[in-house]
Amino acid sequence: MRGCLPPPFACWLLESVLPDPYREAILGDLIEEYMLRIESTSRFTASGWFWSQTCRSVHFMLWSSLRKGNCFIAMGVYIFMATLKFAADLLISKLVSPEQTTQIILAPIVFLTTAAIGGCVAAKIRRGATIFLALLVTITVAILIDLKVCAIPVPWWYPLGFLTLGPLAVIITPALFGRAKQQRVVR
Amino acid sequence: MIVRREIEERTGRNISIGAVYATLERLEAKGYVSSFTGKPTPERGGRAKRLFRVEAAGKRALQISEQTIRSMTAGLKDRWRTI
Repeated sequence: MRGCLPPPFACWLLESVLPDPYREAILGDLIEEYMLRIESTSRFTASGWFWSQTCRSVHFMLWSSLRKGNCFIAMGVYIFMATLKFAADLLISKLVSPEQTTQIILAPIVFLTTAAIGGCVAAKIRRGATIFLALLVTITVAILIDLKVCAIPVPWWYPLGFLTLGPLAVIITPALFGRAKQQRVVR
Repeated sequence: MIVRREIEERTGRNISIGAVYATLERLEAKGYVSSFTGKPTPERGGRAKRLFRVEAAGKRALQISEQTIRSMTAGLKDRWRTI
């Protein structure tokens, strides 16, 4: 039966991006049609169709989400995240060590924790806001890398880690918490 | 799913499900259609179906649109030869 299931990553992407009232309906429609297609065509063709529907639907849903004010929610959470990060940095410099080396070592932990908390808060308010929050985090990190705010030389993968793992933490953490919650409900 | 397939069959174009729902959402906001959630079924992975109904305002708007299209295309058949 597992072989008949649609691509899990496409499903997860749709779950993360689709706005609340239509998430169930759209995913249900796609799964139903995928099941019908898999009976008449190959699994590969059906998966290709599922992926094409996912890619072509995402931008419509993003636009719909934007009109619903999800970007404003994302901006609010983004300000909250920035405050949290600033407070954490201040505490580290006062309580642990004011040296920049310590800050650079602890920065990924602080950043990823803040991103995860921000993602969860955004998802709690409205699920569609997480994708805009991830976008804001990506833009911020890209600007900071470009401005070269880090005075100490760091390896190339260090800023790249921030750029990739930050937005992923925003999107994946609420999805993981949501799955764990669903499993608890099923039990 | 039925709406999307109907459009595909009538127009011969591959329509994305997102475009259909985005349009239906706008029509619902304007009060042209209303929707309600159906029961979840196993063939849909346990997900509920969204069912749409055309409202009176939607029916009126559709009639006006049809009249407009008819008046725009009236006599076009006879003029094909001269165009």
